[in-house]
Amino acid sequence: MTASASERDQEHRAGVEQAARRRVAVLVAIAVAGAQTRAELQRLAAEQAALRRVATLVAGGSPPQEVLAAVAGEAGRLLHVDVAVLSRYEADGSATVVGRWDRPGAPPGTGREQEPGTGRERKPGTSAAVPVWAAGRRWGVMSVGSHSGPLPAGTGARLAGFTELTATAIASAEAQAALSASRARIMAAADQTRRRIERNLHDGAQQRLVSLALQLRAAQQTAREAASPEAGELAGRLEGAIREATEVLEELREIGRGLHPAILTDTGLRPALRALARRSAIPVELNIQVPGRLPEQIEVSGYYVVAESLTNTVKHARAAAVSVEVGVAGDALRITVHDDGIGGADLGRGDGLAGLKDRVEALGGRFRLDSPPGAGTAVRVEFPLAATSAAHSASTSASAGAGQVHNHEGDR
Amino acid sequence: MKVTDKPTSVVLADDDVLLREGMASLLQRSGFDVAGQAGDAPQLVTMVRELRPELVIVDIRMPPGYSTEGLEAAREIRASFPDIAILVLSAHVEVEHAMDLVASGQRSGYLLKSRIINVDDFIETLRQIVRGGAVIDPELVKELVAARRVSDPLDVLSAREREVLALMAEGRSNNGIARELFVTEGTVEKHVRSILMKLRLPEADDMHRRVLAVLTFLNAQLAGSPAEDLADAVG
Repeated sequence: MTASASERDQEHRAGVEQAARRRVAVLVAIAVAGAQTRAELQRLAAEQAALRRVATLVAGGSPPQEVLAAVAGEAGRLLHVDVAVLSRYEADGSATVVGRWDRPGAPPGTGREQEPGTGRERKPGTSAAVPVWAAGRRWGVMSVGSHSGPLPAGTGARLAGFTELTATAIASAEAQAALSASRARIMAAADQTRRRIERNLHDGAQQRLVSLALQLRAAQQTAREAASPEAGELAGRLEGAIREATEVLEELREIGRGLHPAILTDTGLRPALRALARRSAIPVELNIQVPGRLPEQIEVSGYYVVAESLTNTVKHARAAAVSVEVGVAGDALRITVHDDGIGGADLGRGDGLAGLKDRVEALGGRFRLDSPPGAGTAVRVEFPLAATSAAHSASTSASAGAGQVHNHEGDR
Repeated sequence: MKVTDKPTSVVLADDDVLLREGMASLLQRSGFDVAGQAGDAPQLVTMVRELRPELVIVDIRMPPGYSTEGLEAAREIRASFPDIAILVLSAHVEVEHAMDLVASGQRSGYLLKSRIINVDDFIETLRQIVRGGAVIDPELVKELVAARRVSDPLDVLSAREREVLALMAEGRSNNGIARELFVTEGTVEKHVRSILMKLRLPEADDMHRRVLAVLTFLNAQLAGSPAEDLADAVG
């Protein structure tokens, strides 16, 4: 009886203990799960923040090399690795490093053989690499590595996830760079064509016309010397022909000036802008602080910015005066054309301002139009002087980051 | 003035052979002695050293650069032979080039190439330059005088005085201005004195200095003149 009672008692206690243990286990399980969820959430939040930073760079029109470097940096920080490298496949099958990040203060790698993505002579588990798919093709490879020990489990999967999400940013940064490079090329080609036509006009057609007029003059003199009534009439007709040749010459001179101002090529922006100012129908206050010569494309585009803005002012602004400020600040050329007219200009009106915006942006510059009704119009333009042109900067971005890594997907 | 028997010797420089020949025959017909013809700037400079002509007529744009080679050759000739008269011809006229040339000394001219066609005027211009004057293309002067300025110093001048100022800038003498405007030389002298006083310009007894003074004044009054910006840069 007592035994059975104590047995029961024991059974009961065991039951209670078991229940308690179960409860603890559940609680522990819940706690553990919660911690995992929190860590997962934190990881997600960090990932989102990283993506947002990359997207902001893309949306802000940052140069592609900056975006690509940022992608590598975000991946490296996110995955707590020592080094992250973004490489792009080239047409010849090699890959070019376009973005590289090293953890500040990380022990240096032992050299090129430890370059992540090369997959050579690395201990298993110390690096991971995933392909980057962009715009429907295998664009490149993203790789991360640790100098000290194996990467945490799941690094490869997380890298793949992050890379997939940044692929759009990579593709659009590339597309933007290609686009502005081609815009700059088209513009430069058009400018060169105008310049060539202007030169041909001067050295060809105009010269020929002067020669022709001189021959007519000589013929006229011969006719006069003949001193007959018929010859007199001929001399008169020749006078008419000479006058016409002179008028055509004048027209050609105007056309040539409109195509490309020779003074811009010969002596630079200041004399060319001064010539514009003195031909302007509205008084121009000109302040030019430009040391010597600037890159040709910048000079030509700067000239067109002022020329087009002045034309616009004369045509639409009903202004009494216009000021033109041109100066170099830091490594940028700044141009402001400000009139005191009626304002209300807008880029959609088709008065040449939209074309200017395109021209400025093709060179990696910035264009701003402020034209509140009744308060004048200001065109503000900034050209970067460091990178001569977008075409130039795009071609050098390909070689940013010196190393080449082999076409290899790594040890994902 | 006295007409000497000896014809003025000229060296021509232009890369267009046809035009150069045309100009040479025109000059020969008009009593000049065409001593030499050059196709580019170095050839011109060599020829001038050998032939020492009284007058050089040079196209501003020549090989190899087709830029301002003619102007540079003119400067070089000026430095070695200040007495040689130089006329620079150009397809377009620019104030900077005009200043550059006139400031380099007497006997200088800067004209649109198409001025050759009006042979009589052109020959008269050449004689004027050889005599020591300075001649600036009317097209450029018109642009300088007509340029709109925010507070225009030329506003103090009457319409007639503006006309006279422009002719002064072109390098015309008082007598030349009188003929152009169908007034007496005395009237022109009165206008000139009034203009110089109003614009605070110095009296100049020779044509070259008068052109230089007027041109410098007009150029300095223009928007974005180097002097103005230099002050800004220093300030």
